[in-house]
Amino acid sequence: MSNSVFHFFLLFLTLFLHLTIVFSWKKEEFRNCNQTPFCKKARSRKPGYCSLIANDISVVDGNVNAKLIPKTSDQDSKPLILTLSVYQDGILRLKIDEDPNLNPPKKRFEVPDVIVPEFETKKLWLQRVSTEVIGGDSEPSSVVYLGDGFEGVIRADPFEIFVREKGGKRILSLNSHGLFDFEQLRAKKEGDDWEENFRGHTDTRPYGPQSISFDVSFYESEFVYGIPEHATRLGLKPTRGPGIDHSEPYRLFNLDVFEFLHESPFGLYGSVPFMLAHGKSRGTSGFFWLNAAEMQIDVLGAGWDADSGISLPSDQARIDTLWMSEAGVVDAFFFVGPGPKDVVRQYTSVTGMPAMPQHFATAYHQCRWNYRDEEDVELVDSKFDEFDIPYDVLWLDIEHTDGKRYFTWDKVLFPNPEEMQKKLYAKGRHMVTIVDPHIKRDDSYYIHREATQKRYYVKDAKGNDYDGWCWPGSSSYLDMLSPEVRDWWVEKFSLQNYVGSTPSLYIWNDMNEPSVFNGPEVTMPRDALHYGGAEHRELHNAYGYYFHMATSNGLVKRSNGQDRPFVLSRAIFPGTQRFGAVWTGDNTADWDQLRVSVSMVLTLGLTGISFSGADVGGYFGNPEPELLVRWYQLGAYYPFFRAHAHQDTKRREPWLFGERNTEIMKDAIRMRYILLPYFYTLFREANTTGVPVMRPLWMEFPYDEATFSNDDAFMVGKSLLVQGIFTEKAKSVNVYMPGEQAWYDLRTGITYKGASSHKLEVLEESIPAFQRAGAIIPRKDRLRRSSTQMVNDPYTLVIALNSSKAAEGELYIDDGKSFEFEQGAYIHRRFVFSDGKLTSINIAPSASGRSRFLSNCIVERIILLGHSSGPKSALIKPANQKVDVELGPLWLRGSKGPLVLTIRRPNVRIADDWTIKIL
Amino acid sequence: MNADEEFYKASSSGFIKCKDGSGQFTRAQLNDDFCDCLDGTDEPGTSACPGGKFYCRNAGHTPLYLFSSRVNDVMEWEFIGFAIFKATYFLESVKLKRLFSIIVSSLDQTYIISYLDEHMDCCDGSDEYDGSIKCPNTCWETGKVARDKLKRKIATYKEGLNLRKQVIERAKLTVAKDEAELSKLKSEETTLKGLVQQLKEHKEQIEKVEEKERLEKEKEDKKREEDAEKSKAKNEDEKEVHIQDESATESTQNNLEGSPMDQHDAVDEKETAGISDTDLHAGSEVTHDQVAKPEKDASENTDALSKEELGRLVASRWTGESTEKSKEDTTAKDGHDHNVQTPESTHSEDYDASDDDNQMYDDDDDDDDDIDDDVDKSMGEDIGDENHDNDPVSSYTSDSENESDLSDIATTSNPSWLEKIQRTVRNILQAVNLFQSPVNISDAAHVRKEYENASSKLSKLQSRISSLTRKLENDFGPAKEFYSFYDRCFENKQNKYVYKICPFKQASQEEGHSTTNLGRWEKFEDSYRTMVFSNGDMCWNGPDRSLKELEQKLDEMNKEQPQSHDEL
Repeated sequence: MSNSVFHFFLLFLTLFLHLTIVFSWKKEEFRNCNQTPFCKKARSRKPGYCSLIANDISVVDGNVNAKLIPKTSDQDSKPLILTLSVYQDGILRLKIDEDPNLNPPKKRFEVPDVIVPEFETKKLWLQRVSTEVIGGDSEPSSVVYLGDGFEGVIRADPFEIFVREKGGKRILSLNSHGLFDFEQLRAKKEGDDWEENFRGHTDTRPYGPQSISFDVSFYESEFVYGIPEHATRLGLKPTRGPGIDHSEPYRLFNLDVFEFLHESPFGLYGSVPFMLAHGKSRGTSGFFWLNAAEMQIDVLGAGWDADSGISLPSDQARIDTLWMSEAGVVDAFFFVGPGPKDVVRQYTSVTGMPAMPQHFATAYHQCRWNYRDEEDVELVDSKFDEFDIPYDVLWLDIEHTDGKRYFTWDKVLFPNPEEMQKKLYAKGRHMVTIVDPHIKRDDSYYIHREATQKRYYVKDAKGNDYDGWCWPGSSSYLDMLSPEVRDWWVEKFSLQNYVGSTPSLYIWNDMNEPSVFNGPEVTMPRDALHYGGAEHRELHNAYGYYFHMATSNGLVKRSNGQDRPFVLSRAIFPGTQRFGAVWTGDNTADWDQLRVSVSMVLTLGLTGISFSGADVGGYFGNPEPELLVRWYQLGAYYPFFRAHAHQDTKRREPWLFGERNTEIMKDAIRMRYILLPYFYTLFREANTTGVPVMRPLWMEFPYDEATFSNDDAFMVGKSLLVQGIFTEKAKSVNVYMPGEQAWYDLRTGITYKGASSHKLEVLEESIPAFQRAGAIIPRKDRLRRSSTQMVNDPYTLVIALNSSKAAEGELYIDDGKSFEFEQGAYIHRRFVFSDGKLTSINIAPSASGRSRFLSNCIVERIILLGHSSGPKSALIKPANQKVDVELGPLWLRGSKGPLVLTIRRPNVRIADDWTIKIL
Repeated sequence: MNADEEFYKASSSGFIKCKDGSGQFTRAQLNDDFCDCLDGTDEPGTSACPGGKFYCRNAGHTPLYLFSSRVNDVMEWEFIGFAIFKATYFLESVKLKRLFSIIVSSLDQTYIISYLDEHMDCCDGSDEYDGSIKCPNTCWETGKVARDKLKRKIATYKEGLNLRKQVIERAKLTVAKDEAELSKLKSEETTLKGLVQQLKEHKEQIEKVEEKERLEKEKEDKKREEDAEKSKAKNEDEKEVHIQDESATESTQNNLEGSPMDQHDAVDEKETAGISDTDLHAGSEVTHDQVAKPEKDASENTDALSKEELGRLVASRWTGESTEKSKEDTTAKDGHDHNVQTPESTHSEDYDASDDDNQMYDDDDDDDDDIDDDVDKSMGEDIGDENHDNDPVSSYTSDSENESDLSDIATTSNPSWLEKIQRTVRNILQAVNLFQSPVNISDAAHVRKEYENASSKLSKLQSRISSLTRKLENDFGPAKEFYSFYDRCFENKQNKYVYKICPFKQASQEEGHSTTNLGRWEKFEDSYRTMVFSNGDMCWNGPDRSLKELEQKLDEMNKEQPQSHDEL
């Protein structure tokens, strides 16, 4: 051990002694707000600090333009240019940047390729603004109409932007507390020291300070949500204010955090600067700041501004927030709601709808670092068959490569990768390999050679290829901001170029924050240089997004646009939902992390990223069998359901913990497979509306305050409520069941009254889950080795009648893999049960002249919950055929409850119109 | 005739009861593709009951129960290529049959057929009856393969029996030999013990005399010193100044050395202050400069690490390796990348025939010389290595330095060493006059040396005895068939890991230059089919490693197959 290393360890040791509590999370290796000048400065400002006024308000090109100038004329300062635009669905967009005509030293970075092109087509061309004098203002304010009874207002002096109900109550506002600040770029003067140092890393900061901060207020809101990714509760706790324990702000800075804590505002792998606010009386609103630099966000506790003398409408409960970013411009969006689903739809109309996933990807994934070799893969695969446990995807982590050179295979461990994939695919199973953005600096590695020759790497501050350290050792990082580099990367995934790949192979992007082991805060230096001279600081949070985008496009291209991509990413940014799934990174096998996984996944869903999940079992450490079992039971309802484990953990495939546990885990996985038709329908709903698959209760019950901070339970779609079990040896659990309608226990069919809390016995074999009265859930009850093999299997419909003996539900089916559904090649049915009759209605738009999707699948069983048990038969029309009605089990394996009314073998085709009348 | 077939026949009248009593069904409902019995009794031929079993008769081969999940499962024709894959969207699934023939005519037939084979869960094809696939009846062929396999198995078994006989014979000889050696060693021990005792007494007497001489000399010295002190006192003033000088330089040196650490401490405090919650409030009073400063200082500490060291350090958190180790690994890996290519390719045959890729340390022919060698080696281990337990690697280097210093006693065929010692001792005892004072220095040295010599030989002998005793105490199986395993190790290359298993000693896993102790010998289990090694190195973030060495074919001595189930 070298002397210096020894000293370093001594230092470490002393640090730990000082802290007394030893966290495995290396807190001191990451900057806190006080060590971050822009954050510290912004936090120290007092309300009313901003002295800007809006001047020269005019309508240009359908936008409202204005200049922001200091009220007390200051010769030095240059005006800022403000642009306000209005889009369909009540969306207000605010941009503030330096005046390009005044020759700023550099163009500030605007994040490209995040806003979907369709959004621009939704712009409403403003013709004029109306004016109105607010209160005792000296200047009139300008008002634009947003549609649906909402207005946007620019208040000139003091400068403020807000959205309100027409002529009435405020919904959202910006700079109401005068904390707006915009550090304009300036030429370096003699004596300016812009350098920043942190733990041995020097940031040259050649452009000096350039941060932006402002306050945003949400009116009539009881909770704010969103701004992933943090391991925190669903409802964001205040970080500052009277009576609030001191806290860091919520940090948005994509970082590879080793052993993250389960309750911390610290920034993790992804950043989505989109916040939702919700209250019972007004509903939901949202604010999104498109900015890829480091951001810190304070949620301010009530009374934080008590001494400021600022008076906002006092009849409106309000949550104030402070947004701070290191660089970039203001490009902010105000969403008026009014419902939670409206806000999500509005947000995803800007950043894009979640992609329709491959059907197989919605099933169960088996992963571990690492499945050693082909024999190991074959063994694990065969064990699933031996225990008759379905799974769809087997994953290979970094060790499958030849020395961490992605797109290569370790020739000893994986001599015949194609054959291996084909063997899996013969059972309808797929494989995923990992491809990370760090490229081994090895001249014999073709990717490195090409990237070096073509100058495709991110450069360091001096202009040389940035050389960092990651899994392969010395590595460089592809500059994915550049469309040219992305196009080049896309080609790497063709079946010819990726030797050993087959069409059943899909991709996993890890470490794309980017993770740099020897970089500041385990990432890339902020003064590294990208395409177009952009500094890394300006786009850091989007780096992984571009990498994910390029990889996803690579998979589309390899199939000539025929096959949907599946790419899992760890880094997250607004728009990630268009390119694939994400997971919550390297969690730990403990109960707290199981609990926080629910709020993490819910939060991602609220911000458009519907296809997400946490590592089942916990990545680090060895879960007790009970924890693992509970994790499977919960994870089966994550939109993305994957078990994963660290290299040094014990093997934990579901058959390794005794017969009983194997059965329970198998049951949990089977539950997912049985519900796949329902899940896939929800994925389609997300794809068309942005509404996530897994939802907080308040999204379905926005007027029920008891749901607002509930993150122990969640909804899968609108019909299923799931309660997690987060403690060891739990005997009972309180489940709050919202709404007026009753709930049917998913396992037993037993009903529970709505709008009340029920104390339930906790069972070993399942976690509580309930079907909402009034909902019809489609299932596929037959067990297969993989979801792919279920495609022709018949359906079961479970009808849970509400108090008026009615119910409805939907089913969406397509080929599960191509893009033909975009041309209308899908089946979309609505099932309506009322007056003793079930009707199947086509709700797909007529597909005249477009592609069609056909299915011969039938309905083999219809279960009626909440129906009297008298009827003996039912009549199918138009076939005019009678079928038996009898009492049968609710579940074909391990049914626990009483027998339920079952229509036996109606055998109607799922694609057809029909009615079935109970006689 | 299968019992199930009887079951359904016997209950031909009216209802048939589900086997689990969960319900009943009519004959018409048997295999009607609707699940009436939770246990699947009514659907032995369909996939309707999850978890049910499908029965294929497989005439010509073994009958088989399949999970119902395999019945009429969907085949992925699309796999063959995106072109065909696209075509399927326009075809109804009833036309799949035709698609099949298209594929056969347009693509490599052998591939398709092998592909089909993987899909046919029943070799008679009866599980894929819904018309979308035609499965050929491959039972005869499959059956033939199975029969051949069985034949081969029997042959190996016979061969194994033969081998076992030989090994038992050999073990008998070796055990007898070892036991003979042990008794001989024991008698030698008694003799040697006596000699050592004699030498010891002799030595002690000499030492007594020496001690006496020393005390006297001390007395004289003291006297001389007292005299000298008187004269010293005169020079004292001068000397004190000198001492002060020295201490001053010393303290500055201390400061210099200490200062970096002091700085570290200061930094720690500041950093900790920055981190602890209460102090952060106060943080606003701290000026920017003050905040920046500790950062800079802290930076110097990490500066001490090169970029590469820092990278390795951070990487090691995930990999759980010490940074040094990971360095080794990288070197090893690099070696693997570049240099080892050739050996790999030469060994490729071993890889393919993975059953045979175990390499014994020793050759199979264990003639007597070999056994002797082994004995030497193991003796070397035990004698040279008292903390053997802590040092798993050393036991592998059985052919190392130890050998030379054993040469004198190790060869049991040469008993003269004992006589030699006896003679020497006799000579010494005669020659040295104990009561002579002052003691003859060379005599004293001689006695001491001989004593050291003899007692070290004794301890070697004793440890040899104890190692032999320990060896013989082991459970070598009912007919001592594992006796010859005692001093042998087996290597099994499983891709990048090399598993080394030394029965009755320990097992380890090597990757490049790093070795992980998988466990020390504990016992046989499972009627001598499994070797248990326990208390291995701690898994990172986990419990001790342990290894169960499965010997699948115990009797097949030529093919011990250490199937390592590393339960990491």
